[in-house]
Amino acid sequence: MVLKKVQGIHKSKGGLIRSFVKAENGKIKEISISGDFFLFPEEAFFKIIDELKGIRAKREEVENKIEEIYRRENIQSPGTLPADFTESIMKALEV
Amino acid sequence: MEEWRFIDFGLVDIRDMMAMDEAILKSDEGNTFFFWTPKKSIILGFFQKADIELDIPKCKDYTITRRISGGGIAFSDERCRQINYGVVGTIDNELFPMDIIGSYKQICGVLIDTLLHYKLNAAFRPINDVVVDNKKISGNAQTRWEGKLLQNGTLLLDFDIEEMLRISNIPKEKFLDKKIASVREGLTWLDRELGEQRDMEEIKNVIKEKFEERFHVGLKSGTLSEKEKELTNTLSPKYYSHEWVYR
Repeated sequence: MVLKKVQGIHKSKGGLIRSFVKAENGKIKEISISGDFFLFPEEAFFKIIDELKGIRAKREEVENKIEEIYRRENIQSPGTLPADFTESIMKALEV
Repeated sequence: MEEWRFIDFGLVDIRDMMAMDEAILKSDEGNTFFFWTPKKSIILGFFQKADIELDIPKCKDYTITRRISGGGIAFSDERCRQINYGVVGTIDNELFPMDIIGSYKQICGVLIDTLLHYKLNAAFRPINDVVVDNKKISGNAQTRWEGKLLQNGTLLLDFDIEEMLRISNIPKEKFLDKKIASVREGLTWLDRELGEQRDMEEIKNVIKEKFEERFHVGLKSGTLSEKEKELTNTLSPKYYSHEWVYR
């Protein structure tokens, strides 16, 4: 699934994050992220994608959610922070 | 002196190679160092989407697959002048540090020692690059599994930048002369740095020596075990599948 709409591009120290997001009624409905960053364990990335669906499309809520998943899943992503994913997602939400 | 297994897979189909790569990590045959040279191909990083990163219609004559580690596209043109390597090692906080960047630095040190042998100004650039005079000559990608690490990387001997730019899907807003110039200025390869083509086997032998020195081990030629071959056969369909590559 690729949402060929607005691409949010943000470069962290760990890589380029390219986000595509569809919001409906102020909530994230669909989201897709591509990038050359590193994240361990890799499978936890899909939890981030899944759990962002339904979250209000506000910077603080998106970042809090990602941080929560980082803590719960013991995610490490050298050079990339939850704030970097958030920045890319917020850029994709700008129209 | 401790002996670790060494395998040279030669010129390979990248889908078969990625299956063997994962099989070595997920079997238990001890620390292993291996080489291969990819046929014309593109390997996507774990988090990359093919239709976002690539201009798919232009990639028709490339074999495309995905690896289990993150990072960016590994592009191999038909010149086949690349030495790719893999290391599988038990994380022990000495030879293979727990710290991710520390472990990249340790393994990339083998390539740096090799480039220094050729009198080049090589250095580690965190997180995962080896540079010569600040130009990338080697990209590396690591994943971890049950207390072990797998690191793959390439040493470019020759490289077709124009072809990579042709098939890459560079965002429109970045499709400017400046961007292209920066990609050109930001990459280099051994043949260019040395001003001549060195024999690939000679370079591999230097890498092997530097590996043995850095890890204080002897490398002993071996092959995949029966268990690894079985696991390779089990994993192989994934690397050939549309679901894995174009997900």
